[in-house]
Amino acid sequence: MLGLNHRTAPVEARERFAVADPAPLLAKLVTTDEIDEAVLISTCNRVEVVALTRRPDAARLRLRSFFRRELGGDEIAASEDGRVLDGMLYELHDANAMRHVLRVASSIDSMVVGEPQILGQMKEAYRAAREADACGAILTRLFQCAFATAKRVRRETRIAERPVSVARVAVDLARQIFEDLSEKSALLIGAGEMVEIALEALRREGLSDVCVANRTRAHAAELAERFGATAHGLEEIPTLLPRVDVVLSCIGGDAPLLTAPQVETAMRERSNPLFVIDIGVPRNVDPAVNRLDGVYLYDLDDLSEAASANANERRRETVRAEAIVLEEQQRFDGWLTALKAVPTIRDLKSRAESIRLGELEKSLGRLGLDETQREGVEALTRAIVNKLLHAPVSRLRGQAEREDGFGYLEAARALFDLDDPSAEAGADEKTVGDKTAAPPALKDDE
Amino acid sequence: MILDLLQLTAALYLASGLTAWLGLVLEARRTARAAVFLLAGGALVHTASFAAFHLEATPPPLTDLPAAVSVMAWVAVIFVLGFLRSERLGALVGLVAPVAFVGTFFGALRLPHSAAAPLVGAASSWPHLHVLLASTGLALLGVAGVAGTLFLYVDRSLKLRRRMRPRWPSLEALDRMNRVALALGFLLLTLGVATGMLWVESESGRPWTGTAHETWSALAWAVYAALVVARFGGHQQGRRAAVLAVAGFAFLFFAVIGVSLLA
Repeated sequence: MLGLNHRTAPVEARERFAVADPAPLLAKLVTTDEIDEAVLISTCNRVEVVALTRRPDAARLRLRSFFRRELGGDEIAASEDGRVLDGMLYELHDANAMRHVLRVASSIDSMVVGEPQILGQMKEAYRAAREADACGAILTRLFQCAFATAKRVRRETRIAERPVSVARVAVDLARQIFEDLSEKSALLIGAGEMVEIALEALRREGLSDVCVANRTRAHAAELAERFGATAHGLEEIPTLLPRVDVVLSCIGGDAPLLTAPQVETAMRERSNPLFVIDIGVPRNVDPAVNRLDGVYLYDLDDLSEAASANANERRRETVRAEAIVLEEQQRFDGWLTALKAVPTIRDLKSRAESIRLGELEKSLGRLGLDETQREGVEALTRAIVNKLLHAPVSRLRGQAEREDGFGYLEAARALFDLDDPSAEAGADEKTVGDKTAAPPALKDDE
Repeated sequence: MILDLLQLTAALYLASGLTAWLGLVLEARRTARAAVFLLAGGALVHTASFAAFHLEATPPPLTDLPAAVSVMAWVAVIFVLGFLRSERLGALVGLVAPVAFVGTFFGALRLPHSAAAPLVGAASSWPHLHVLLASTGLALLGVAGVAGTLFLYVDRSLKLRRRMRPRWPSLEALDRMNRVALALGFLLLTLGVATGMLWVESESGRPWTGTAHETWSALAWAVYAALVVARFGGHQQGRRAAVLAVAGFAFLFFAVIGVSLLA
């Protein structure tokens, strides 16, 4: 695995490497001898190539060249010291690379731990690799394992449960006061960037009735038009207050814009609670407002403190998430190791089948059986071979997943002479049940 | 048979309450959902126990206090289950299930009934109608009190900017539950008081005999009438409505149950 991320490369560099459509690049990459399978993950925080190879040294060079030439890193390499690009790239191999893929999918490695987008982005990367025919059995299994791990992490830990942005914390608090935000209305005071971000967050929650009030009405109108809200001047606030459920204020000014008596008057005209978010510096709302019955006031410090506490909690949850990743990685490792048994099992079955066919041919010629009888004998011999092989094949598969399982594979190859190309011919000459045909290894054991 | 069913009901309510708190503490959605299923299971067995009441050769009467308390627990559970549309309201299970457990356990502990109580199918149907209506009303007013208590906790936590478990019900949902339970509860309690007077009249020829139970019940009804007028007439909501619901239920509980027990 070769790549760069938010920890190793600045956003300007990450932008340069980002790929909108990785499929054509991957198709080209896997046509080379060095790379057998590959998946390219490209998000705003990382660009990584996960590759499968039988020639690690050649693959390393090929992937570095891929980053420089195909992904546009040449500009960085040429414009600055060539080492700059190398410093941005990190390389992981074997178990570390596998673990990294699982950690990325689980959002443990994300800039905002627990963010949900990364899983979708990885699924998209995997889909592009499949489309480019760049993803074979092993990477398919690895990515499916990563998706399953991410689901487990989300299900079994609280890594994604608490909001970590000020806007999300405010929305979360609003949901603690109101049952259904889509039925609620909001008043936003100010027309700056923070108000715009809050407006977007509220819109995502389904708030349909939103008013924007600002000193310069034209600015309010501009923002309101973009988000389908209504624009008002600050002088209209007293008339708006009784009919809105959420007030968000972020506007300049020394004196508080909303005073306790003003809000108290508005509360007499309404029966629902009022949630006031004051993210202005200096504060726009008199803190005494929080003492009024049915009014809940939160300022920027309150929200930031909650966001920071939630972020800490998410980080603490990564310990549990890492344990799940390790468990899933071991399971994947087991599957990968078991793949080593495949050639031996295939050879063993092939050897058994050739013996069966050879013996059958010899015997059937002598017996002079009709078609039905021949089929019966064929089925009988096939059943005997299958039953005889069932236990050793299962044992080989099971043992191959263990670290010390290699001895079983070697023993099987020795016992059945699987590495001796002449053994097949020799075997044809031996008869079933002939004690002299016992393999040497068995004699040694005895 | 009835005792077995009531004991099973109590066990299910207890398990539901413990599971609900476990779900709240661990913030585990599945555990919280399991608590709701356990509560629903308890309600089913509880319903079966009432059916068994009437299949008995000599059915125990509802007019006995343990049976009446058992009815209250059953009504409260059914009402809360009916209100559990939102997942976040699942936190209420943690409060209602233990109360229902105490009610059902008390019922199971005190059965068989006292010989003095009139039997089902006796000449007058007023006693049972009175107990059914009054118990249902009392149970709903109890639910209003529970919703009020939780409202006060969430309100205070929000005011003090305390970090809360995310699964507490919203203030709006708690206030709505308080309102519905108060309106229905008061209506049924009023009918319960009226049928009680008819019962007394059928036995003594007068609707009022001046017993402590009658006096305290009438007083409690008057207090509740004042609360209902304040809530619905004065459009009182939120914190004040919650405080009044809790205080009103505490008074009513003493007036009806406490006085009966002391007597």
